[in-house]
Amino acid sequence: MTTPKLSVVISDDDPMVRDALRDVLDAEPDLEVVAVARDADEAIELAERHAPAVVVLDIRMPGGGGGRAAREIRLRSPNTGILALSAFSDREAFGEIQAAGVTEHIVKGASNSDIIAAVRRLGRPGSG
Amino acid sequence: MVHSDAMAADQSADQSVDTDFERPPEDSYRLLVDSVVDYAIFMLDATGRVVSWNPGAERIKGYSAEEVLGRHFSVFYPADDLAARKPWHELEVAAEVGRFEDEGWRLRKDGTRFWANVIITALFEKSGSLRGFAKVTRDMTERRRAEEALKSSEERFRLLVQGVLDYAIFMLDPAGRVVSWNAGAERIKGYSAEDMLGEHFSVFYPPEDLVARKPWRELEVAVDVGRFEDEGWRLRKDGSRFWANVVITALFDESGRLRGFAKVTRDMTDRRRVELTLSEQRRLVGHLVEAQELERRRIAWDVHDDSIQSMVAVGMRLQLLANRLPDEDAATVRRLDEAVRASIGRLRNLVFRLRPPELDRHSLVQALDHYLTDVTGPLGITYRLRHSLDHEPPVESAITIFRICQEALTNVRKHAQASELEVSLSSVDGGTLVEITDDGVGVGTPSGGRAFEHFGMIEMRERAETAGGWWSLEGGARGGTAVRFWVPTPNGGGP
Repeated sequence: MTTPKLSVVISDDDPMVRDALRDVLDAEPDLEVVAVARDADEAIELAERHAPAVVVLDIRMPGGGGGRAAREIRLRSPNTGILALSAFSDREAFGEIQAAGVTEHIVKGASNSDIIAAVRRLGRPGSG
Repeated sequence: MVHSDAMAADQSADQSVDTDFERPPEDSYRLLVDSVVDYAIFMLDATGRVVSWNPGAERIKGYSAEEVLGRHFSVFYPADDLAARKPWHELEVAAEVGRFEDEGWRLRKDGTRFWANVIITALFEKSGSLRGFAKVTRDMTERRRAEEALKSSEERFRLLVQGVLDYAIFMLDPAGRVVSWNAGAERIKGYSAEDMLGEHFSVFYPPEDLVARKPWRELEVAVDVGRFEDEGWRLRKDGSRFWANVVITALFDESGRLRGFAKVTRDMTDRRRVELTLSEQRRLVGHLVEAQELERRRIAWDVHDDSIQSMVAVGMRLQLLANRLPDEDAATVRRLDEAVRASIGRLRNLVFRLRPPELDRHSLVQALDHYLTDVTGPLGITYRLRHSLDHEPPVESAITIFRICQEALTNVRKHAQASELEVSLSSVDGGTLVEITDDGVGVGTPSGGRAFEHFGMIEMRERAETAGGWWSLEGGARGGTAVRFWVPTPNGGGP
């Protein structure tokens, strides 16, 4: 019996990171990247359209940044888990994202396996 | 002539004293004269010999009645007056016109001089023949001395004012015309006293002030409130301008009538130039700090948005690749990934240092507190931040202070091997004094010694000195290092 794949939307303004992240997640048999956004507006729109299990959100992007995107996504797709990615531990930005209800946060440069584990935690709560 | 009843009644009231008046006995005049000690009152016969003498005469001239009665009054006169036959001349005048008044030196019995006010009145018989003279003499020496003293002090004061070169000190009449002029006025304004006496002081003002009626308004203010002070451009005789500090004081006499104005003008051109240079320098330092911050921010964003992102992507792909390769190759690729990740860590530290301090949203102390938390947390160093600041330093000073602290903390992190750190800020001498001490290995050790020549040290000192302050590094009380620096607060706060 096969479990359905976890659908993921990726959002990052850097094309190299975007593509690498997509390849990393797609390489996992239980994960499927369904859409890739380049900014906050696209992230909101794609999250609403696909209602994915998880959105991986760069917390500093053009178009209002991660905080606004996180709030909008929680509003429009309440069942989507949000994983915040940041380039370094920016206290202000992380405070904003926490206020928007995001609990999972990973600093860029963490290993692929840490990122994958975090996506799974968010996509299948309680499954480990 | 018609009198009203009321007037008649008044007159009778005025004159009613006369009807009750009882004439005093003859000898009361003698009593009166004999009791006067402040005036020498005595009589001369028609030839000038003394025939009566009162206690005032004895007190003032020093002769007793016995000594002087019968002697010619010329004994009271100094030799040069005798040579000029002054005593006899005075009597002639008195006999001719009835009265003679004089002030001059007279002699006491002991030969000392006193300044006398003398009135000689000729006394005539009813028949009209000259009987003698009444002579009243007053000792005016004290008054004369006081007058002389006042005159000489006024003279000294006049000389003082005349001689002052650094201030133009002169007087205006109530209409604003110059009535006195000193050497300083000539030096500063270029006009001589001959040029200026009688001229209106508005010639010192540039045309734009004349259009605004400034000279006249200044006098009005001085009259209203007693005093007017101003700084502004004034003209010299040659038409060149100087920056003047001007005080105009209204002068009123005892009855409250305006007598004129005292005007004191100082040439502040040089001081103004120095002040402008200083403020220009401060402005440039401000620009420099701003430009440096802008440059740092740009570099930080470039490193953050480009270098780190690319390396993160490279790291992800290296990990993916390693999973697909045979073990021997995978190990090599994993080592590559580790090297990339270590570089990311170092770049992140660089961005962290270059990042603009949070001074736009937080106070200096809060921003430092956040920074200390971020820096010391991962190193296991405990820190204490104390401050006693009167005021939040202006943003350029705050940036300078923050950046120097940051550099000092970088050195602590790199070299000190410290476990405790103390940072204190206090308001001192119109600026901010900062002390950063640690309990690490100190400046005496090889690594510390090299650190002293490190670029960071030079940068800290240059930052402090560019802002007009100072910076020092020495061994701390607890064996570690103490960095102390002081940055002045521009404009205000300090003298």
